[in-house]
Amino acid sequence: MIRFDNITKIYYCDKKPIKALSDTSFEIKKGEFVSIVGKSGAGKTTLIKLLIREETPTNGGIFFKERLIGEMNSKNIQLLRRKIGVAHQDYKLLYQKNVWENIAYVMQVIGVSDRDISHNIPQILNMVNLTERQNNFPEELSGGERQRLVIARSLCHRPEVIVADEPTGNLDLYNAFEIIGLLEKIHSLGTTVILATHDKEIIDRLNHRVITLENGKIIRDVEKGKFIL
Amino acid sequence: MFTSLKRTIKFGWQIISRNKGLGLQVVFIMVVAVFILTSLFLFRDLSGLLINEAKKKVDISVYFKKDVGQEEILRVEQELYRFSGDIEGTQYISKEEAREIFIQRHKDDPLYLEALEEVGENPFLASLNIESGSPVFYAKISEFLTQGPFKDLVQEVSYYENEKVINKLFNLISGIEKAGLIIGLFLIILVFLINFNTIKLTTLSFKNEISTMRLVGASNRFIRTPFLIQGFFYGLVSILIVDFIFFLSFIVWGKILQSWLLNFNLLNYFKESFFSLLFWQIIFIIILGVFSSSIAVRKYLKV
Repeated sequence: MIRFDNITKIYYCDKKPIKALSDTSFEIKKGEFVSIVGKSGAGKTTLIKLLIREETPTNGGIFFKERLIGEMNSKNIQLLRRKIGVAHQDYKLLYQKNVWENIAYVMQVIGVSDRDISHNIPQILNMVNLTERQNNFPEELSGGERQRLVIARSLCHRPEVIVADEPTGNLDLYNAFEIIGLLEKIHSLGTTVILATHDKEIIDRLNHRVITLENGKIIRDVEKGKFIL
Repeated sequence: MFTSLKRTIKFGWQIISRNKGLGLQVVFIMVVAVFILTSLFLFRDLSGLLINEAKKKVDISVYFKKDVGQEEILRVEQELYRFSGDIEGTQYISKEEAREIFIQRHKDDPLYLEALEEVGENPFLASLNIESGSPVFYAKISEFLTQGPFKDLVQEVSYYENEKVINKLFNLISGIEKAGLIIGLFLIILVFLINFNTIKLTTLSFKNEISTMRLVGASNRFIRTPFLIQGFFYGLVSILIVDFIFFLSFIVWGKILQSWLLNFNLLNYFKESFFSLLFWQIIFIIILGVFSSSIAVRKYLKV
């Protein structure tokens, strides 16, 4: 479903090159649950940005359902992004909209009717324990609540792929496992899940495929892996 | 499509209602812009009227010899119209009428009236006042009268005495018209640039929002349209404010201004030309508010 083919990504900082990813290749099949682990700066977030064309690779190609993302036009990129629900590490919320409106926006983008939105959002809010906060704006939420909102927004429109970038970073253990449980539940319904994290406990518990990144390179790719760095 | 439009209008209203401070700033700047445009619109028509009135005041007088009869003078008048199509009007004043005008003008001046009594007979000459739209034609008409077939009938033509003043006045009028146009254009461009930058800066504050909207797969139109609605709304509010200010001003100060402006009724003029003015104001805010918002947002929509 998703294929990274010899991907290299170089950033330039004060004209000095920084290699975020180096000749990285891997494939994710439909319905897989893949954890991408690594220290901070290993390249996890870069992988995610490349997948949704927020960044473009310096070399190599990324394929989504056999279509090269680099050759997609503006309209197709918009369609691609609707198929991939991303829970960003830095939230990327709409601060002008409240909790309800943040979730509703994604559904409105894909054309869901107001009736269906009104029906679905309460369930989603309940799943992430944000029912009481539906009228609050992001700046009124705690870090953990924002994280849960981001998760809710990423899965509300039932995308084909869910990408969660450090989704438990600001959560207490209880909420963290609740979120992971939610991701597993969604996965069990057939959604492809990509989880980027450096949380050992979660990885060891999940017992799914683990891709380990170090300095922009894949050093390990194990079917039922543990967190080993 | 209708649902999408309804949503974008709702989003536009959300931006407006949740950014009141920002909105006030933008409306203030747009009020200044619309105020200047409206003033130029009014000035254009008002100055046109005043200039035409000034042109009307400029005329030349042809004085005929004592023994020239009314029939001959009227024949001269007809020939003048055939000679030049640029004559805008003529007025025949007989010797008797000229005497009556003099008496009326100086009725409170016994010295003048006594002097007239002393002279005894009517010292005034019959005359023809001629109006034309250009100093060039006054010169032609004067030449025709003093050197043409009627030179023996003509005592004097007042043009040569006032030639310099007449030329200066027409040059001044032409200068005012050109200067008005240049200053007007300059102000419009200046105001447009200031407003465009203001709108660009306000859009900058939405940069991160727009980026997030792109990342969740919103189309460019879905992102852009609420900002266009915002720009149009601010423009409409600024039009309302400006028109209200002008309307109120003309009610309060209209009569005073009327006496200075050759009886030009500003309030009536404003009412009569309201829809025409509104049309141009709306075009202006579409270019200014909507167009500027579109350009400002476009920068952040590039994938």
